[in-house]
Amino acid sequence: MRKVMRVVNRAQCIGCYSCMLACSRTYFHIASTKLSAMRVKNYAGVEGAFSIRICTGCLQPDCAAACPTDALTIREGGGVIFHEEKCVHCYKCVEACTLNAMQWDPIAKEPLVCHQCGICAEYCPNGVLALVEVDDE
Amino acid sequence: MNRILRIDLTNKKSEVYEDNKLYDEFIGGTGTATKLLFDMNIKNVDPLSPESPIILSIGPLNGFFPIATKTIAMFKSPLTGNLGESHAGGRLFLSMFDAGLSAIVITGKAKQPSFIVINDENVEFYRANSIWGQSALAAERILHSSVKCVGKRSIIRIGPAGENGSLMANASVDIGRHFGRLGLGAVMGSKNLKAIVVSGSKRNKIADFGKFNKVYNKIFQAAVKSPAMKKYHDLGTPQNVIPLNKINSLPTRNFSQGFFENADELSGENMSKNYLAQQIACANCPVGCIHLGVLREPFQDNIHYKSFKIPYDYEPIYAMGTNLSINSPEALLKLLYVVERAGWDVMETGVTLGWATEAFERGLIGTKETEGLVLNFGDSETYGQVLEKMLENKSEFYRDLNMGSAYCAEKYGGIEFAINFGKNGSPGYITGRDAFLGFLMGVRHSHLDSAGYSLDEKIIKGDMQEDPSAEIDLMIKEEEWRFILNSLTVCLFARKIYTEEVVIDALDAVGIKKTPDELKNIARKIHALKYKIKVDNGFNLDNLSFPNKLFEVQTGRGKMNREVVNNMIRDYTTKMKDLIKEV
Repeated sequence: MRKVMRVVNRAQCIGCYSCMLACSRTYFHIASTKLSAMRVKNYAGVEGAFSIRICTGCLQPDCAAACPTDALTIREGGGVIFHEEKCVHCYKCVEACTLNAMQWDPIAKEPLVCHQCGICAEYCPNGVLALVEVDDE
Repeated sequence: MNRILRIDLTNKKSEVYEDNKLYDEFIGGTGTATKLLFDMNIKNVDPLSPESPIILSIGPLNGFFPIATKTIAMFKSPLTGNLGESHAGGRLFLSMFDAGLSAIVITGKAKQPSFIVINDENVEFYRANSIWGQSALAAERILHSSVKCVGKRSIIRIGPAGENGSLMANASVDIGRHFGRLGLGAVMGSKNLKAIVVSGSKRNKIADFGKFNKVYNKIFQAAVKSPAMKKYHDLGTPQNVIPLNKINSLPTRNFSQGFFENADELSGENMSKNYLAQQIACANCPVGCIHLGVLREPFQDNIHYKSFKIPYDYEPIYAMGTNLSINSPEALLKLLYVVERAGWDVMETGVTLGWATEAFERGLIGTKETEGLVLNFGDSETYGQVLEKMLENKSEFYRDLNMGSAYCAEKYGGIEFAINFGKNGSPGYITGRDAFLGFLMGVRHSHLDSAGYSLDEKIIKGDMQEDPSAEIDLMIKEEEWRFILNSLTVCLFARKIYTEEVVIDALDAVGIKKTPDELKNIARKIHALKYKIKVDNGFNLDNLSFPNKLFEVQTGRGKMNREVVNNMIRDYTTKMKDLIKEV
């Protein structure tokens, strides 16, 4: 059994960004949505339509496979671990994730990798996100 | 922070400067915006001239703490001629915060329909001929997909009402939020400014993470768990409909009575159960009080259906619903949709239609003016036609309706039943004299200025004794505390969470030290400056009264005693005259 992030109730999202703020705050000590490893997207002209993109902790991550320098290695339990010193800032990891879950820091030119910690879910007021146990058997 | 962006639309120029002294002295939000407006000396400025400023202002807690979600707009009101101030939620505060801007000051007039895009301190000026005439809703859709932004964007725009110079035009902000009151939309329209798009790329550092987190979590937990926010989270502001109706305080048929026989239909309970599509939130607010109703309408032989999402709140339900005796939520949502697209202040619109209906009943206007339409309370179809004609803005009478209730009553008669205070259409409370006194004496003629209605409710419940002098003092005290909340700038729905202690702790967590006494003094200074602006710009303290009709109405506290009310107005006025001397 492993624990990874899931969007469990997408339609309950109210678009408050508490999740993204919690992620950026926890890992980068900033009051911002900008360095969050997950994203709540708004759609133009569709009132109240939100799509949540979060790393779901693949066991064989496409992002890691796309990385030419092994800057992303497979994390035990799913997802990836980022090795900053190996990153060549090529953006291939972001492009490889069909979910668009891999976020990008445009200033450092590095991926923002989800730690599967669940802090975003802790701050979600409506139970949209959850760190859930996955049985791969 | 403490950076101010000045934009000159005439010369397409902008500059950024820092003013730490201003922010030290007036905190931010409404405080700093008031001082900026005061220093611009708008006394002889026509509100719809190029010189007339638009100030957008946030405070030191915006971006940092939950429910510090408001942005203050300050301007010279074309509706009242004096202080124009309106507050909006949405994402605007976040975009300004990300852009590193505490205030944006816009003056001048674009040569042709335009919109501006603010990315950090960079301002770009674009032609807007192709979107001039688009509804406030369409403009948002278009700009959201066509403008490049460096971060989460906020879109402030006007609809045709603002373009037409309607004095009750608002400016819509993101989804379902507005700078609703006092005519900002007309000011934008007069500048040929269709929209303002803001975004930023800055990453604001948290200085003391441990201290910050403690305060953040305290506020966040209170927001999601405490009963203080439950009402807004559950049914939203329409939760008020039934309780107000029970105490005869729900304005019905142009304030003829406080009991609406179909209140159950328009209640928060019924709206939630049968019409609520979903709730959404302002950025960094876990409460999510924005209620989007859904209206389904058949077309093509009733086989096909189309759906609209329409935001609703208590005040729109009162203004376009109970006040016009609209019985069904469908009919109400349909009217609200027209108002939303046009970009009118829904409250002034409802009050103006209330006046028009009564003026029609009494024969002050007739079918000649209305071009054949017969105005009756409860006739939503005709009200829909009236709104369409107001939107066309072609004939004299419908152009006049666009000027609001005070203008119409002045021209056609019926001042006694044009329910506005200081020329601003009334909020939806007939609780008693304190509600009305607050609307009259509050700096922006809003129920949120001093919350007199809440004193009325306490007195009705027996939690407080009647005492005219104490009532006035409590209202002034409340209004001045709210100047602090509006300077931070937190949503007033969170006022029970943002106690004085929490405010001081939150300020401290972002490196600002203030004592309770310092806050009181700042609030007092803000009050004095605002009143000075009002009086300098024509708010006449010697000529204040309630609309006469209200003395005939059974309020929640019973019929008002005219002599007592007049004495209260006189005493309040005296205090405000003394206040101005402090400037």
